[in-house]
Amino acid sequence: MTGTKAVVVACDIVTPYGWGIDSCWNGLLSEKTAIKRFDRFPTESFLTQTAAVVPGLTYGQDESLIMGMLKPLLQKNISSIPEDAFLILATTTGEIDKLERHVLTGGTDAAGSRPDKLLKKILLLCRLNSPGIVISAACASSSIAVAQAAGMIISNERDCVIVVACDSVSEFVFAGFSSLMALDKDMAKPFDRDRNGLSLGEASGFLLLMSESRALRENRPVIGEIAGWGLTNDANHMTGPSRDGSGLAMAIRKALKSANVSEKNIGCFSAHGTGTIYNDSMEIKALRAVFGNHKVPVYSIKGGTGHTLGAAGLLEIIIAFESLNKKIVPPTVNLCNIDNEASGWVSSEPLTLDGSVTISTNSGFGGVNCAVVLKKW
Amino acid sequence: MIIIRGIGWIKPTEYGSILKKLQGNYNELKSLHSRLLQESVLRYPIKNFGRFDDSSKMTCCSIALALNDAGITYSNSTKNDIGVLGTNDNGCIKSNLSYFKDYVASGRIMARGNLFIYTLPSTPMAEAAIYFGFQGPLLYVKFQVNQIPSMLRFAGKMILREETSKMIAVEASEEKAVCFVLDKKNDASNMQTLFLEDILDITEKISDFDEMIEMLKRKVKM
Repeated sequence: MTGTKAVVVACDIVTPYGWGIDSCWNGLLSEKTAIKRFDRFPTESFLTQTAAVVPGLTYGQDESLIMGMLKPLLQKNISSIPEDAFLILATTTGEIDKLERHVLTGGTDAAGSRPDKLLKKILLLCRLNSPGIVISAACASSSIAVAQAAGMIISNERDCVIVVACDSVSEFVFAGFSSLMALDKDMAKPFDRDRNGLSLGEASGFLLLMSESRALRENRPVIGEIAGWGLTNDANHMTGPSRDGSGLAMAIRKALKSANVSEKNIGCFSAHGTGTIYNDSMEIKALRAVFGNHKVPVYSIKGGTGHTLGAAGLLEIIIAFESLNKKIVPPTVNLCNIDNEASGWVSSEPLTLDGSVTISTNSGFGGVNCAVVLKKW
Repeated sequence: MIIIRGIGWIKPTEYGSILKKLQGNYNELKSLHSRLLQESVLRYPIKNFGRFDDSSKMTCCSIALALNDAGITYSNSTKNDIGVLGTNDNGCIKSNLSYFKDYVASGRIMARGNLFIYTLPSTPMAEAAIYFGFQGPLLYVKFQVNQIPSMLRFAGKMILREETSKMIAVEASEEKAVCFVLDKKNDASNMQTLFLEDILDITEKISDFDEMIEMLKRKVKM
């Protein structure tokens, strides 16, 4: 590597708690969930009638749910986004409501739902002057996108990269997860012994990364550093994680090595923590394999925000930086009865964070794993 | 320095590989699977191949051809630190339509999980990772320009950044596929290989798929 550091200089999100980072952070700290009954489309025939949706979005109109989130978010932040930033869009299904409308009403062109079409819209919205790319890797899409953005900067390929992440709660996705019996009937309860599935959520956000030298040259306020990452695959099953957590453990070890930090330096751990029985169990096994008896505080935000799919990684990295900078480990919302496996690792209450390095991980369909090491600046 | 250790390709009725100069014909994807098994390009049957979407079938078969071309073996009992990067023009829109139309036809009551899992652009790479035991990074990347050379550069940089030891880079649609095995140059190896820069030169100049495959074949004859 070159010695160049990749730092985050701007970010913003919209989540089911509302617009902005503060609303999400305060929502999580309030220990109240944003998951509730919703009426965006009929849900009577599905496993649950709850999800975490962004208030005020319109569904089934000309503008997609994604653009309903991204347009105000990016327009508000346009002054902080340089025209030469390289764009990476991270999503699993993008503007999938356009395809729904095509099938249901014959209107619109199904091809309009393709993520590369969305990429072009974001390029225009941000007035960026070079082509970008779309990265899609299931529920690790945006954490992998952030890792690749940092890689481009560290290897001196780029000095400014913007990662935009988004996914929405659509009938398309809701029906699919329901068919896989992956949804909790009530709401997601990560690391709880009574957990029984995930709750779907939606979010959009962006993270602007720069080389340290450019950030300093432009007097940018530095939020934190993307210090390392590890990407692996379980090579095991399409919809279920490797039961022993070995794939995720390997990703965490790779991330620690690439950031040149020891597991003893980690102050807290942002877990994927979906609330499904197998995911959460797998994660604790991976943590035990890497950290042994050194129990770091672990939290999941998905009991609050729901599982925001391709946006989850970016959202969780932003909250992890908030955690580092505020020196608070957020509580795991909806955690009532800690699973025996997770006892001593997770908490339903906020804790004081002791340390300046954290890890955020995501895992997804197809066995994909990503661990990103974040450092306080 | 990054080298290309093997290249596999599939057209609507033909398949082959570049370094070993393998070539054959097939009628439909099920028969391609059978042919590749008969020729030991596939070492054992791909479980559930029949329920894969066409993109996943093309991805897995083209990877098998490329690995065979590279002389890389695999088994269902071992896993390797190999990453897989996929790209194509249309993502998974055909599978998205297939899944959602089926759901609507059911009265919007019950979706089919077997169709839903193919509504991620990364699913074909995931099917390949499960079959071949790839434990490295897995991602789908859509490039706006120069798709194949951009994909090769992206995969090469992941190796140079030591994110993994080898990368499979595959462009696969329902009708055609080309797959490359990227590795770091090892001076001790006397395996036949191609330099990434030479392949970039060809793939940047020629966008027509058939013409590109012919040029890659000619490159080995030279």
